[in-house]
Amino acid sequence: MFTSFFYLLRQVGIPASPTSFLRLQEALRQGLITSIDDFYTAARTLLVKSERYFDLYDQVFAHRFEGADLKEPEEFELNEVAKTMLEEWLKDPKGMADALGVDEESLNKMSPEELLQYFLDRLKEQTEEHHGGSKWIGTGGTSPVGHSGYHPGGMRVGGVSRNKSAVKVAMDRRYRDYSQEGPLTQAQMGEALKRLRNLVPAGPKDVVNVDETIYQTMKNAGEIEIVFDRALKDRLKVILAIDNGGWSMDPYIGIVQTMFNYARAQFKELKTFFFHNTIYDNLWEDPARYRKPQPVEDLVRRDPETRFIIVGDASMAPYELMATDGSIHIEERTRKPSYERLQFIADTFPHSVWLNPKMAEEWPYTRTINMIREIFPMFELTVDGLEAAVTYLMNGN
Amino acid sequence: MQEESNANGKFKGATQYVLDEELAQIVNISMALEMPLLLKGEPGTGKTMLAHAISEALDMKLIVLNVKSSMKLVDALYQYDTLTRLNDSRFGDSTRNVSRIEDYIKMGKIGQAFASEEKVVLLIDEIDKADTDFQDDMLDVLDQMEFDIIEIDKTITANHRPVIIITSNAKKDLSDPFLGRCNFHHIAFPDPDMMQKIVQVHFPDISKELLDASIRAFYKIREFRGIEKKPATRELINWIRALQADPDFKVKHLIKGDLPYLGVLFKKSPDYAASRQAASRMRI
Repeated sequence: MFTSFFYLLRQVGIPASPTSFLRLQEALRQGLITSIDDFYTAARTLLVKSERYFDLYDQVFAHRFEGADLKEPEEFELNEVAKTMLEEWLKDPKGMADALGVDEESLNKMSPEELLQYFLDRLKEQTEEHHGGSKWIGTGGTSPVGHSGYHPGGMRVGGVSRNKSAVKVAMDRRYRDYSQEGPLTQAQMGEALKRLRNLVPAGPKDVVNVDETIYQTMKNAGEIEIVFDRALKDRLKVILAIDNGGWSMDPYIGIVQTMFNYARAQFKELKTFFFHNTIYDNLWEDPARYRKPQPVEDLVRRDPETRFIIVGDASMAPYELMATDGSIHIEERTRKPSYERLQFIADTFPHSVWLNPKMAEEWPYTRTINMIREIFPMFELTVDGLEAAVTYLMNGN
Repeated sequence: MQEESNANGKFKGATQYVLDEELAQIVNISMALEMPLLLKGEPGTGKTMLAHAISEALDMKLIVLNVKSSMKLVDALYQYDTLTRLNDSRFGDSTRNVSRIEDYIKMGKIGQAFASEEKVVLLIDEIDKADTDFQDDMLDVLDQMEFDIIEIDKTITANHRPVIIITSNAKKDLSDPFLGRCNFHHIAFPDPDMMQKIVQVHFPDISKELLDASIRAFYKIREFRGIEKKPATRELINWIRALQADPDFKVKHLIKGDLPYLGVLFKKSPDYAASRQAASRMRI
């Protein structure tokens, strides 16, 4: 019963398991489901295990039971892709009209259906990916059709087409949102940072060591001698140094901020410093990098077991890294080149890594990244990268 | 909000809980199929309250297991009190039989739920705080409805399968095997209409003006920018309580955009400061 519905759910990408489908059968058998509304809720609670799929479920349900149009599985994706692709074109209604070869007024008179048809025709004419130009569907071009909003008739394009070639374009980014390699989300970051926990006996002595207690009691001729052990507590010390200056880091500050919040809950001892581009004589405790300097030399007084994590894009002019007085801040006069400072940190803290929000494939093209990679092991600021970084930090290298 | 009765073991709502039909249906299905129900949703959507409501409505005892990050599964099942036993064996002045280890086993929350003579509601609150192993192991126990006490080599089997409600704060996804064994529901943040009902349940004789004005203000306040922790239902209810307690307060203050007691809504000092600023610029 309802097998096709089940397969349809799976087809559109909802990970419904066979076991859960059997449970749905069980619910039906027990007479728990007496109406279509019941079935809607029951099937959802049993088959769909994340709110992310609720919308998709609704669409499939509407298709299967109310006869609504269901898009081809690929086109669920196209919907999103078309939206982003077309948004660009839609910023300029006049350009659209020009591209169509009609004036803006007559374009306004087109009904949404006509405009839709126009878009479909364009898709059919198109046989390959196309970038630029003024007629074809692709990227970087102009065309009068697109997703809702701009057209006075308010048409929505996403997902109505059945043309495979456009889907090909869509395929380019189909799984981007699910990939582990995309920018970090909060949830992923928390997971990854958790691996940094290093259980070492350092908590208060409040756990009874039963074996030892029995032994000591026996030794004491039955007079009870209770032996306490230290509770296992996470006492890993972590220093985070974050590049929070300059436009080049701007897009990543949000991600890094997330990392902060998680990190703070994660460790007992966490020190956060800021720097701009690279580290010179001082790190800064305040994000404005003005009031509270922390001389790099003083870091030597800290526990060498501390994990030193630097977050930055490591992209700058080579002289900033190599020259004495390399800082781009005029007031910051330095005695040693940053290169040596970084080397010093790496020597002081054997457990140190550099996390780079730039993706690894871009690294070879920036000279300073290559230079810094000689000092610190560098990892991407992604879940995969972070996992590798944590593994590295825990290996005791 | 109590509708008819909760006879024949079906859940229809409780005195202090506004239930939408969909959720009631889900609870009933989960109970009939004897499956744990996993509830997700942002804080303040009444996940925890649901368990309380079920226990009240069906007249079952509620056992709450508050999950902590350091928790081990065995803590939730039972505890072997070695220290008391050692003490008893030395001084021998208790009524317990030292040679019976069983006397020194204390049941944890899950253990209590299993051992109970009557059917109970077991609320496992904020499961996402624990690590993945804990979650999976716990589901094994809940699946089989039994666990072993190693010290006395005894298997505890549940007398009645408890109604299990599990909540998660949506910070991260739970593992697939875990999800596979639960029913799932996501509680969305109540819309203003629903919120009106909720407030009315808590304040049966609230005036219409105050109800409208406070809820409208509340949803505007939730949209303030730069707020780390948005106020939720609990904060709104406390806020209204504070407004009602103030003899000088008039509803028209709210309508004019004068928002007193923001400290009730915002618990973090940066949030409080930001909300003060935003409120001074706001008109309702």
